[in-house]
Amino acid sequence: MKNYLLKKSKGNTIAVNFRINPTRIISNTFLLIALLCASTVAFAQNQLSGKVTSTAGESLPGVTVLLKGTNNGTSTDVNGAYSLSVPGTSGTLVFSFIGYTTTEKTFSKPGTLNITLETDAKALEEVVVIGYGTQRKSDVTGAVASVKEEQLRERPTPSLNQALAGKMPGVQVNTNSGRPGGRTNIRIRGFSSINSSNNPLYVVDGVMLPQSNQAQGSTAIDYINPNDIVSVEVLKDASSTAIYGARGANGVILVTTRRGKSGDGQVSYNVDFSTTGIGPNRPEVLNAKEYLAVEDLAWQNMAKYDPAGWAEGKYVSLNPALRRTDPRIFDSNGNPLYDTDWLKETTQSKLSQNHQLGFSGGNDRTTYSLSLGYRDDQGLIKTSYLKRYSGRFTIDDQIKKWLKIGGSLGYNNQSENLVDITDQVARQIIEDFPFLPVKYADGTFANNRDYPNAEGTMSSVHRLYGTKYIMNTQTVTGSMYSNINFTKDLEMRTVLGTNVLTQEINQSRTRTLEIGAQGTASASNSKESFWSLENYLTYNKRFGDIHSLTALLGISWQETNYFNISSSIQQFATDYFGFNNLGAGSQSPTVGSGASRSAFNSYFARVNYGLMDKYLLTFTGRADGSSKFGENHKFAFFPSAALAWRVSEEEFLKGNPLISNLKLRTSYGLTGNSEIPAYSSLALLSSTYAAILGDIRVGGTGISRLANPDLKWEKTAQSDLGVELGLFQNRITLEADVYYRKTTDMLLDAPVPRTSGYSVIRKNIGSMENKGLEFSLNTVNVEAGGFSWNTTFNVSMNRNKVLSLATSADIFNVGGPNFTNPTNVIRVGEPVGSFYGLTRLGVWSEAERDEAAKFTSYRANKTILPGDIKYLDVNGDYAITDADRGIIGNGSPKAFGALINNFRFKNFDLLVDLQYSYGNDVLDMTLHSSEDRQGLANSYKTVLNAWTPENQNTMIAEVRGTQAGYVTNVDSHWVKDGSFIRGRNILLGYNFPAALTERIKLTRLRVYTSVQNLFLIHDKEIIGDPETVPIYGGGDVFSQGMNWSSYPRPRIFLFGLQVGL
Amino acid sequence: MKYNIVKNMSVALLYGAILLGPTGCKDFLDEAPPSNLTPDNFYTIPDHAEAALAAVYADTRLIYEGSGIFSSTWQLLEAPTGTSTTETGQNSDLNNLYALVYDGNTVHTYNEWSGLYKVIASANQVLDKVPGITPMDEAQKTRVLGEARFLRAWAYLYAVRLWGDIPLITTPQSATTEDFMPTRDPQEDVYNLIVEDLIAAEASGLPWMDATGRASLAAVKSELARVYLTMAGYPLNKGAAYYKLAADKAYEVITYANSNPGVINLFPTYYDVHSESTENQLEHIFMIQYNTVVAGNPMENMYPNFQPVTYAGPGGTGSTIPTPAFYNSYEPGDLRAKNQEGYFYTSYYTNGTEDPFELGAPYIFKHFNITSSGTVIKTQQANGTITTTSVAGTRNNNLNVPQIRYAEVLLMYAEAQNEVGGPTTEAYDALKKIRDRAQLTTPELGTFSQASFREAVWRERWHELAYEQITWFDMVRLRKVYNETTNGFDDFVGHINKSSNATLQEKHLLFPIPTQEKRNNPNLTQNPGYPE
Repeated sequence: MKNYLLKKSKGNTIAVNFRINPTRIISNTFLLIALLCASTVAFAQNQLSGKVTSTAGESLPGVTVLLKGTNNGTSTDVNGAYSLSVPGTSGTLVFSFIGYTTTEKTFSKPGTLNITLETDAKALEEVVVIGYGTQRKSDVTGAVASVKEEQLRERPTPSLNQALAGKMPGVQVNTNSGRPGGRTNIRIRGFSSINSSNNPLYVVDGVMLPQSNQAQGSTAIDYINPNDIVSVEVLKDASSTAIYGARGANGVILVTTRRGKSGDGQVSYNVDFSTTGIGPNRPEVLNAKEYLAVEDLAWQNMAKYDPAGWAEGKYVSLNPALRRTDPRIFDSNGNPLYDTDWLKETTQSKLSQNHQLGFSGGNDRTTYSLSLGYRDDQGLIKTSYLKRYSGRFTIDDQIKKWLKIGGSLGYNNQSENLVDITDQVARQIIEDFPFLPVKYADGTFANNRDYPNAEGTMSSVHRLYGTKYIMNTQTVTGSMYSNINFTKDLEMRTVLGTNVLTQEINQSRTRTLEIGAQGTASASNSKESFWSLENYLTYNKRFGDIHSLTALLGISWQETNYFNISSSIQQFATDYFGFNNLGAGSQSPTVGSGASRSAFNSYFARVNYGLMDKYLLTFTGRADGSSKFGENHKFAFFPSAALAWRVSEEEFLKGNPLISNLKLRTSYGLTGNSEIPAYSSLALLSSTYAAILGDIRVGGTGISRLANPDLKWEKTAQSDLGVELGLFQNRITLEADVYYRKTTDMLLDAPVPRTSGYSVIRKNIGSMENKGLEFSLNTVNVEAGGFSWNTTFNVSMNRNKVLSLATSADIFNVGGPNFTNPTNVIRVGEPVGSFYGLTRLGVWSEAERDEAAKFTSYRANKTILPGDIKYLDVNGDYAITDADRGIIGNGSPKAFGALINNFRFKNFDLLVDLQYSYGNDVLDMTLHSSEDRQGLANSYKTVLNAWTPENQNTMIAEVRGTQAGYVTNVDSHWVKDGSFIRGRNILLGYNFPAALTERIKLTRLRVYTSVQNLFLIHDKEIIGDPETVPIYGGGDVFSQGMNWSSYPRPRIFLFGLQVGL
Repeated sequence: MKYNIVKNMSVALLYGAILLGPTGCKDFLDEAPPSNLTPDNFYTIPDHAEAALAAVYADTRLIYEGSGIFSSTWQLLEAPTGTSTTETGQNSDLNNLYALVYDGNTVHTYNEWSGLYKVIASANQVLDKVPGITPMDEAQKTRVLGEARFLRAWAYLYAVRLWGDIPLITTPQSATTEDFMPTRDPQEDVYNLIVEDLIAAEASGLPWMDATGRASLAAVKSELARVYLTMAGYPLNKGAAYYKLAADKAYEVITYANSNPGVINLFPTYYDVHSESTENQLEHIFMIQYNTVVAGNPMENMYPNFQPVTYAGPGGTGSTIPTPAFYNSYEPGDLRAKNQEGYFYTSYYTNGTEDPFELGAPYIFKHFNITSSGTVIKTQQANGTITTTSVAGTRNNNLNVPQIRYAEVLLMYAEAQNEVGGPTTEAYDALKKIRDRAQLTTPELGTFSQASFREAVWRERWHELAYEQITWFDMVRLRKVYNETTNGFDDFVGHINKSSNATLQEKHLLFPIPTQEKRNNPNLTQNPGYPE
């Protein structure tokens, strides 16, 4: 029996204990050693003591010291010292510690026994989490990137995705709003889908999260406290993702959360305080004096651009002299009383705080962890905030020798005010008149609409204080597992997971903002309940030193139920209630509700075979069934295969002083994408038709969706070739991958002839490719005399091309905002979502007057004049029409990545994290409203460079009152080079020395300070931040790279403290 | 050891059962949508017939919806007429409509096409499914089918006049339907279906007028007169026989109006033409219904560009405003051109209720909603002083969009009857009624020849029906365009629009088939003169 257990423990070291994460190895090692010694009997006591040090001479705390063949043991203290009573006067002590070679030392008398432990190259080897298991990094055959806890902690962020930005090649993370908790756009190896989701699958502690479609494009991962996460693995190639079959096509992000450890209890407390400032490259707008001068000129120029209307006296009332009479705004000479900087007025530098408290502990059998978090983020824009309360509890118990059980339960409560839910605030910050005060003397808000003949808008500050969009999200995530060891080689794991997400969205707008509706309010509530049950058997066996085999076989069920209810009403007698008393509203009440269900049933298997630890082979397959697909295609099969060759294990390289590691690997496989709305294959009627008969609403039911019983998965076939290289004892490590991904059977809302009465049918048609290169390099540049300098550099290059579509028709109306002309196009042979528009050549010059006049008017029926925009007339017909539009840019970078330098000197550390992007275009839609028209609202300072007879060589049309005719088109002038280098994070930290911390009974004390988004190097043409994209109209994945009135990205100043005891 | 084997075996069996067990529930992957009906579980009781019909009425709003920034689909029928222009250049598609350089990419063409065929599809659904509902009151069933046929005819008449030969779809579609990718049918077949539908609707027991805004007998007869009048002219050129059909059908309405002047009549003032309180009554024979409980009036692109004419302050876009030429072509003294009393306004009250201000130019008052915008009422006191009272706007623009006014019925009759055999007293009276309301004198009947009466009626149509999306169809049907300078009529081809100085060409008699639609259905051919 004892013998059996001993063998089992060896097997388990690889097959079981590595399953969750490396930290658990420690606990399990303790556990197994304890088990080994269960039957030992005690004799008379003698004392042994000593100190354990590393080869570098550092004392090693926490080393397990055990009398061989017994369960009599202890561990070293913070100074590496131990003391142990032994029954006899001779024996053998076993010293074990994670990362070091377990060493035995015999003794023949009581007394002092010092020892030096050597590092264990094999044990130190990185262990990574893969789908349904773990593997030594050296055994991995696929492309897997991983991020460890310390890297995740470099930038405290409200969401995991934000923390991942720039950490891994092939993973593009764009934070799309500077709002606290602003949503991210995350792409692994480019776009794989047009109509379906491009978001990766998240798997938290082995439980897949549902691909929710919550408000603001948020997903369940946004509501998990990133402080609970200790490691993240990103599966990129088909060999790694195929085990997730129909949900693996966009890559898989595996998240491991903190678990307890046996041994002394641990308490940790991390806190940071931060504040925000306006980020680099703030947009510059006209000041009061400049604006009024531009307006004067614009009015005078109306005589030139509409001579007939001018002659008829049409514009007399627009004379600025007549407009500047409001004594609240102008003095008696029409000079402005104010010069307001609206960006300053709408932003704040409030203190944000983040507290994280953790407890963990346990004994040989049971371990637990408990963590509590509180986060209060005050955004850069006034009134915007994110507050989160979170708690999490985990327990693991080796209840029987053959049975281990455990579970976790997490709760998050998050409240946010989404001030950028529409473009209005950010747009108004630019367009608010600088000559207006924020408030008049009587306390009411000043608005652009107070100025005669301007666009009738409300000011940004008025909107901020008059609008509430409060999103309260509560999530409960739980999981339970059991591990049963049938034999030492065969284990079965059962995981039951659940994720319940409840989201309230409560909105209100005041009576002064909603003058038509006299105040509006709405409240909605949705609940998404997800559960999964997965069982899988793992067989793990080594046959001598030659063969190693791991086989996996499993089954899975998943179900998601969604329900939402909403109501809204208008016309309130007071703003007091906000959304808290909908019954107080009196007009246009609406109610609505909806429900849906979707389910998966899947079977999966994997075989890993290793020959002499040199040649590694992996086969994976998953059969997935989804409720969302047509009757004829409920199930599909996704296979993959991979091969790796550890060249450095070959005789000719073993012990090579230069090459310490060399692995070549290749893989090929199929994965799928099933993220379409439920019921997409069925013929549906809609009951949301509303007729008006007798001035009341009469509900109707009519046609809604065409059936497609043949609807099936979108499939992505991916091949990957990778190399991993370590030089000089891995002081330089390098990993590079090339890949080719081809997506076929794309799930598309394919347009159908409108003569059918329908607009689209959900169909599998069209294909797209992504090919790319990923490269990452880690170097230890200097390591001497208490000083070290490490560098991490990564670069990703992806090229996307649409290969075929449903019809020869281009697809428009993607991207956004599409308020003028189509902004993006999906066209065969081009990268998906390319920018689309006219080419602006400049402005017609005086010398070209006659040529300009030949053009059919593209300026509100007025003759084209010098000073009007000059477009490229592609077909030479002297008319500017859609025939003259074409592809004018693309928002995807040619290359992106990060350069991170870590410096350490004694107890100080310094991190310099630079993010870069190259070759991405920005389509700046704000130029439509802030450069192409004057007199209605404020403009960018760039209009000071507008065309005049003296300044004819410019891209900007002569200013004029808009009523006299002007033109605006999505065109090449709006496309800018968006390449940039960002000082993303500069962090300086100090760890207090052990001598000091011990005195105050702490195990760890660290202080640090950082600045995020410190600087930006960019093209001078760029207005604002090249990385920001719209939320308004920009839920669309193809809006990346488009700028339209988004929440500005702040600079964040942070101070933090980490305490352990 | 043996114990271990037994234990492990039993555990293995247990888990084997768990592993395979639930595969037995085959319903796990079945779908049953909880928030949508399917065609299989609907159309079973009379209420379903009414709900299906309501969907068709709901769809009638589609051709009035937005088409890009500062523009609406209905501008397709206004911009090319030359009677209106724009105060903004924001929408390049709209610019191209004004400049007569539109093509199949112009978004308005696609939205109009899609909207009309959506109405047709929803009506086809009613016509296909409702007959099968049993038990159902026969009278109710006939009425529902009659209304659906009227609405289908209404949509097809728009479509056939815009594009000529078009796919004729009369049954519900699925991806496997034979005519899912239809070819274009001869327009005569389309006109025949329209006539057939309207004749059936005429016999479906509808009341003469319907205050709720449903199709009425007067609406059916008036639409039928309109179809016959169109068929008599271009492109079918069916001539006198159809002019007679049109005259007779219009006269049925006039006869009823004459004996029931409290039910169908001209409004006494032009204000009533755009008043919330007179909708679906008297002169308004058929209207597209608007109410902010569902959707507000869609004509605000006619409001001046950022001038504060409503409670909401500066809000309009001015993307459809009268050309000075057309405004000036009204006869001197024409009440219709008088500020705020006719179809135009040149001044209004600041923010609807404050000091009056000059707009600087005439704007269209025909679709201006005084009730929602706010107004000022002037009252003359006994001592002669005028006091003013501000009336706050309701802020809800519930104004309907007129489709058929009795004024048009009178003018259709006058025109058609004249073509049958020259001007008659009844025809003359019809024309005179329109002019009398405008406070214009009309020359004696005897002074008219058939030709001069014809042009007099046309001229009246231009001035009475302007900005109601009717003028374009007159231009195409007559192949004549009113010339504001000569006060006469030019041939369609070669006429220069005063709005843009662009010249109408042969190709403009038909709109281009939307390019997007052609790409999705390769069986469609393009109209002559437009890029494929």
